[in-house]
Amino acid sequence: MLADTWHLFNKYMIITKRMPLWSLFTLIQPLIWLIIFGQLFGHFVETDNYMDFIMPGILIMTVLFGSSWSGVSLLREISAGTVDKMLVSPVSRVAIVLSRVLHSAIQVIAQALIILAVAWLMGSTITMNPFYIFLSMLIVLFLGVGFAALSNGFAITLQREEPLVMIGNLMTLPLMFFSSALVPKQFMPDWIEFISIINPITYAVEAVRAVLVGPPDFTIFAKGLVFMLLFAGISLTWAVTAFNSLRE
Amino acid sequence: MANQDAIQIEKLTKIFSPNIKAVNELDLTVNEGEIMALLGPNGAGKSTTIRILGTLSGFDSGKVLVDGIDVDLEPERVRQTIGVVAQKTGVDYFLTGRENMMLQGHLYRMKKADIKARIEELATHFELDKSLDKLVSAYSGGMTRKLDIATALIHRPKILFLDEPTLGLDIRSRKMLWKLIEQLNQEFGLTILLTTHYLEEADNLSDRVAIINEGKIQIIGTPDELKNSIHGDSVVISFDESGDEEKAFAARLKQANIATETVWDGNNVHLYVDSGAEGVPVIMEEAGKQQVQVKTLSLARPTLDDVFLKYTGTSMLDSGEEEVEEWWHKWAGKGGGGNWKKWAGDAAEEDWEGNEWVGADGKPKGEWEDSEEWSGNEWVDAKGNPKTPQKAEKSAPDEAGGEWQGNEWVNKEGEQTGDWGDSPDWQGNEWVDAEGKPKSDWKASGKPPGPAAARPRQEDSAKESGEWQGNEWVNKDGEQTGDWGDSPDWQGNEWVDSEGRPRDDWSQTKGKKQSRNN
Repeated sequence: MLADTWHLFNKYMIITKRMPLWSLFTLIQPLIWLIIFGQLFGHFVETDNYMDFIMPGILIMTVLFGSSWSGVSLLREISAGTVDKMLVSPVSRVAIVLSRVLHSAIQVIAQALIILAVAWLMGSTITMNPFYIFLSMLIVLFLGVGFAALSNGFAITLQREEPLVMIGNLMTLPLMFFSSALVPKQFMPDWIEFISIINPITYAVEAVRAVLVGPPDFTIFAKGLVFMLLFAGISLTWAVTAFNSLRE
Repeated sequence: MANQDAIQIEKLTKIFSPNIKAVNELDLTVNEGEIMALLGPNGAGKSTTIRILGTLSGFDSGKVLVDGIDVDLEPERVRQTIGVVAQKTGVDYFLTGRENMMLQGHLYRMKKADIKARIEELATHFELDKSLDKLVSAYSGGMTRKLDIATALIHRPKILFLDEPTLGLDIRSRKMLWKLIEQLNQEFGLTILLTTHYLEEADNLSDRVAIINEGKIQIIGTPDELKNSIHGDSVVISFDESGDEEKAFAARLKQANIATETVWDGNNVHLYVDSGAEGVPVIMEEAGKQQVQVKTLSLARPTLDDVFLKYTGTSMLDSGEEEVEEWWHKWAGKGGGGNWKKWAGDAAEEDWEGNEWVGADGKPKGEWEDSEEWSGNEWVDAKGNPKTPQKAEKSAPDEAGGEWQGNEWVNKEGEQTGDWGDSPDWQGNEWVDAEGKPKSDWKASGKPPGPAAARPRQEDSAKESGEWQGNEWVNKDGEQTGDWGDSPDWQGNEWVDSEGRPRDDWSQTKGKKQSRNN
């Protein structure tokens, strides 16, 4: 299974390398948000450095935008017959989903690192310690796996692109606002704060914030990491189950 | 060569939905080392059979053995011994030919050195060596097919399934592929089962042909055996119409033993005679005597199409476009777009009668009738409550993933969907049919053009129930009919869309003025 995953993962990496523009496009939006939020809302919020505050939020946003579309290309592969070609071979069914999801996660890690670099250039004072950055990337990895798996799962259950795109939108933007990614919790109305408690984004953002901004807080980070592992595990299991039921 | 059967299918049944049996108690045996063609029209169950054999699809009952292995019990083992080339090209366009083959080899868990050796071998055989390192997106259709077949052979399967291998290819590529498939069979000893709806392909390529229709094998044999099952020559006479006189004429020919068999196919009658040279003068003499107008007459040796006609009652050549199982079929099956099935599948059995869309049984179709209706100036639902036009639009096959473009319903890929595409079209000031010929009869009788299957049947019944008023179709109660209501509307001097916005482009195409008050 691992070898199968590796070979398929390789294939997706080759394809990505051949279309670097696509990866670039998914970067543009978070970059715009980084600039808009940093420059515009910085004056409304009473924090020392709003740039530092939203930086983890933007990072997580990049993950969402990058991974929530993974299912679209699965639909393309289904309709092109590529998936059928895989299914007639003895390849592990789990590997087909796993390779896609991992590829998506690796892609967002690369994007997250670029965003970090841009933030430094813009004067953010978040840590440059490689160990803490590595920890934050663990969060990015599992969140990316989780959302890419969700997207793939929805792609298989919905079987068509339009509702998938709709759900992709639904997953990304509202979840961002219902978390402490952009605004500190004390500014939230009670009901939004309640939603933010069950929102995986909140835990991801806070875990990343805990290691990247100010003195590191490993309790919050550990809590976030456990939550991310759970989220990724559940999403992945669901996606694999859905994929296995694809055979009519 | 061993005598074991490569493929053995017994009473295979696959049910798509309660009413549709894609495959119906199909029996088929393919011997080792032969090329067998499954010949049949679209929707006959060819692809479904291949998908079941290729472990891609389950089935409801029956027994399927591939190379002696039960497909249902041990799909993993079956996969190792078969190669499958599906109708849709499975090769990845963003990879090179070599990368595609490497990947496929890895998926079959072959050793790297082995894969490399095999790629060289296949590339030489398929004459792909020069383009092996080019991206597949730069390949021609024929080359992509070749690569597709080559990747399916990477693990040295014993049995190869080809689903419509030459679909959509030009004649030259097609002939090249035939040669290749023949070589594979002779040089590698591959057993090949292919599906096709090209008569020529089945005739030239295969050792045996199985004619499949409505999920069943109708007859099986070598192409010559099948053709010989029709005695003598085939005389095809075309008439302007197939009225009683013509029918009687054909019947008399059979009675008088001039023709051994007569089969009608639209306005053509196929007469089978022992000898064409002797039969034709006699037939023409009879036609003269009985004063039947013969439009054209042709004489030919029986083809597989004649065989097909004999065993299924329809001509292969008449069966329309290839039906590809698209994702929206599955979607429709899941109930996600309930209306779609009506549009795609049942349309043929339904008819537009007066103002109502009726099913094959003559009853109005529930979904349309009791859902919503245009009443006076507004949409009302089944209970008569007014509805906003936007709401009403949902009853159009919106969910199936398409949209109205101008006057046409186009699906997701921007194609007109089958049912609408061959329906009439508004061009300039007149309705034209699918061939672009003006349909003056519709204008005269004042009937609304519906989908192809919904073509008005009898002028009288339509007149009783509705008519054109100015540019609007109104039923006998003076209401606009539902299906037209959510399309654009003529208001005052201009066309407006369903939201009431003027549509300049339409108003240009409309030259006429009319005097309806709004």
